[in-house]
Amino acid sequence: MRWDFASVFDNTDALLVGAAGTLRIFAICLVLGLSLGLLVGLGRYSRNRWLHIPATVFVEFFRNTPVLVQILWFYFALPILLPFQISPLAAASLGISLNSAAFSAEIYRGGIQSIETGQWDGARALGMRWGQAMRRIILPQALKRMLPALTNRAIEIFKMSTLASAVAYVELLQQGKLIASLNYNPIEAYTAVAVIFFVFLWPLVQFSYFLERRLRRDE
Amino acid sequence: MAYQWDFAPVLANAPFLAEGLANTLKITGTALVCGVVLGLALALLRLSPRCFLSWPAGFVIEVFRTTPPLVQLFWFFFALPILVGIEMTPFVAGAVTFSIQSASFFAEVFRAGIQSIERGQWDGARAIGMRHDQALRRIILPQAVKRMIPAFMERAIELMKTTTLIATISYADLLFAANEISQKTFRPLETYTVVALIYFVVIFLASQVARLVELRLARSGESTVH
Repeated sequence: MRWDFASVFDNTDALLVGAAGTLRIFAICLVLGLSLGLLVGLGRYSRNRWLHIPATVFVEFFRNTPVLVQILWFYFALPILLPFQISPLAAASLGISLNSAAFSAEIYRGGIQSIETGQWDGARALGMRWGQAMRRIILPQALKRMLPALTNRAIEIFKMSTLASAVAYVELLQQGKLIASLNYNPIEAYTAVAVIFFVFLWPLVQFSYFLERRLRRDE
Repeated sequence: MAYQWDFAPVLANAPFLAEGLANTLKITGTALVCGVVLGLALALLRLSPRCFLSWPAGFVIEVFRTTPPLVQLFWFFFALPILVGIEMTPFVAGAVTFSIQSASFFAEVFRAGIQSIERGQWDGARAIGMRHDQALRRIILPQAVKRMIPAFMERAIELMKTTTLIATISYADLLFAANEISQKTFRPLETYTVVALIYFVVIFLASQVARLVELRLARSGESTVH
């Protein structure tokens, strides 16, 4: 068996298109997932039952079902209830974003709960309302503690973006499949895709290790 | 016009779904057992003071933690058979991928667990004449494993969710059964909803068991690692 990466390099354009697709869905799901997660996390933290119960149901449902099932549900099942079609990008983004929102909600809730009540009392003593205290005092401190866990979520989102290929969204793995089937070179094509993912993700993973070490040292 | 839900065609395929669930449990169980054993081996190699043992183990762990599981699965299913000249069934490719992938996560759990045991336990074991491996087997691991139980259960649940990827290479797991039934009955909404609910029930129950075990460990004053 001779390795022949030339057939992969000939398809650099296709891989670039795939990389752009991967980065696009990653960015969408990162922003949607982490911001929706904050809302759901505040709902989970709330003592108001009308916020707490729906947030809990959401979190339990999306944490306890596989993300691939969620994506396929949004792609094949949801359009039946809607008057319009759902694109592969929309279905995959919905699945990955809602799944990430459920996981990050628990990170936000844990982070907010970890802040001592004295901080709340101090903020109130200064005349801050709940929203102000949360925004100016609690969240900035909590975010520092949550940063390693949120970085890990970002890494998971990046890895999950490959599942979009199951609904034929054009991303790196999908392009790898295409190259492999056109050139009969699965070894080189899939190895190249794996290496590209490693190159993207390795710095992120090292960064998360760094954040974890720094947090341990500071606390 | 409101959509008319009809679950009858899906329920008529209940035996298919049962078979899919059985296959999901089979691949999860296989990968779990292999993953734990391999994970312990990787952890021990990585903790070794000899760099020709610890570096390769560290490399395997990093690569499998840093690349997407679906890419790994495709590599093992489409690329490896050509490389080594053997035929791979979807089940074997899935079992190999998920075993090594979960092993690389279990290895870090084992490592954290072993490192969390105080030095005095090692010293004590040596003082009563135990060799390194005896001390590890009889003194260190039994204590470490108890602290690792919650992290293990969490990983096992993650593993079960990850096994759905095997449907993309046509292994007849629960998700694959859903794809088939949905195409056969033209009832994707009902099929995928039922299958999502089945996954939810199984995984939710497993999560509750994990939560109970963690609570009990916490109440008995046991520290845990993550």
